[in-house]
Amino acid sequence: MVGATEEARLNQLESQVDNGGGGAWEYLCLVRKLKARRSEKVLRHGIFILNSHIARSKLGGEEWTLYEQVAVAAMDCHRNDIANDCIEALSKKFPGSIRVGRLKGMLLEAKGAWPDAEKIYAQLLVDNPLDQIILKRKVAIAKAQGNLAAAVEYLNNYLETFMADHDAWRELAELYISIQMYKQAAFCYEELILSQPTVPLYHLAYADVLYTMGGLENLQAAKKYYASTINLTGGKNTRALYGICLSSVAINQLTKGRNKDEKDSADLQPLAAEALLKDYKERAPEKLPLVTAMLRNIKLVS
Amino acid sequence: MAEDLVLDTAIRDWVLVPLSVVMVLIGVLRYFVSKLLRSSQTPDAKVVREGQLILRARNLRAAGGFIPVKSFRARRFYYTNEENGLLHVPKGQAQNPQAQMFSDPNMAMDMMKKNLSMIIPQSLTFAWVNFFFSGFVAAKLPFPLTPRFRSMLQNGIDLSTVDVSYVSGRSWYFLNLFGLRGLFSLILGEENAMDDTQRMMQMGGGFGVDPTKNLGAEKDGIDIIQHEWTLPKMEQRAEMVLRKLVK
Repeated sequence: MVGATEEARLNQLESQVDNGGGGAWEYLCLVRKLKARRSEKVLRHGIFILNSHIARSKLGGEEWTLYEQVAVAAMDCHRNDIANDCIEALSKKFPGSIRVGRLKGMLLEAKGAWPDAEKIYAQLLVDNPLDQIILKRKVAIAKAQGNLAAAVEYLNNYLETFMADHDAWRELAELYISIQMYKQAAFCYEELILSQPTVPLYHLAYADVLYTMGGLENLQAAKKYYASTINLTGGKNTRALYGICLSSVAINQLTKGRNKDEKDSADLQPLAAEALLKDYKERAPEKLPLVTAMLRNIKLVS
Repeated sequence: MAEDLVLDTAIRDWVLVPLSVVMVLIGVLRYFVSKLLRSSQTPDAKVVREGQLILRARNLRAAGGFIPVKSFRARRFYYTNEENGLLHVPKGQAQNPQAQMFSDPNMAMDMMKKNLSMIIPQSLTFAWVNFFFSGFVAAKLPFPLTPRFRSMLQNGIDLSTVDVSYVSGRSWYFLNLFGLRGLFSLILGEENAMDDTQRMMQMGGGFGVDPTKNLGAEKDGIDIIQHEWTLPKMEQRAEMVLRKLVK
């Protein structure tokens, strides 16, 4: 994840490079370090460096890293010809390398030749069955083909071994949501909350899943997680505010006001509604009547 | 206190400088030799899995309060049940690492290569230094030191009257051995400069650590903790946050 200061630095470097201020190599290094996806710019500036002999020879051994970076960016921009050139250069320099083999597989993927790509990955996995990137590429292939069930299966196999990889857990959670297996998705979000308990986005997503599943217990839990999202974001998250309103309305409908547990936090929903209205008043006054009408409909404001 | 010792300039030309130069050259040479000998080892699936498992179990222990009781119990059962819990190691199946080492020739080979690139040159240089340069003062530090440093700086001189700021030849070797890391990182690039001290630590860590013990410890840890759901508290806190926001 990219921090705010790093992103600011990245944007500053990007505008500097775009306006011809130099520093292209620093920019590319930063993109690589932050794993940012700015393929168009990377492609343009990377190609510029690769095409000039002087700039390229200045890099020394790093030249090949640049080739790799540009190849991936080119595939992302669908310039398969450029990617092909880069990979040719790399495989001439490093014959039999796993990293180059990976790039070849990715190029085939970019062209949509799924069976060929899978064949290449399978070969690479024979030598090195624990290559995380290749295992993830296989998931990506299944996902790109629209075969979500297979993607889930591959990802589960991957997580059998690499069970502390939270990015994979997040991907799995999103996959489960898109095939409407909410219980499993909830499990994945629990896993994410365990690994990074202070990231509000996971709390929010978990609450969404719980709310979607419905049922009194889940709704109450969902409300608690919306509350913790508010807590972690300082009340700035609009979705969490809506979540509080909707889940407490749903709880009231189910219990018809007979619920004792909810007495402690009875103030939460009017407060959330108020915060929501205030937020809209400040930032989108033209939509305020809509929100007021909606909240009035569910009887949160009079 | 004795009179100041006068050091022959020949000592500087024939001991101090050559010793440092030799140490640097040996360090560089060793880097290349170990690079040649290094085999790209494929990690064992089981070892990777155990490492990740411990990470995940640790997360559960640290942040268990953030998930509902039901989920917590399910996970605890999954990790620690006596039949097929992930952290449960059946008795007798715990592998002896030494036995494992003998059964796996690759491991012994790796160990030997490590030894080749580290112990042999080190003991050779030490023998060389010990033979030629021990027993006399080789340098003087420009600042005074307390007597505690005597064993570090005057290795090989058994005189208690010599001022501590004088460094013996053998100690100069040790100072070089442990202090050249910065120079290596300049010569060989940041990440290539592996400190000798680090290497020694790795060697020590390689022996006799039983991964199953870690699993067992983690299992006990999870068994002990009580689940306390922090979320209800969050609701009240969120109320406070919102109240402040609305005001």
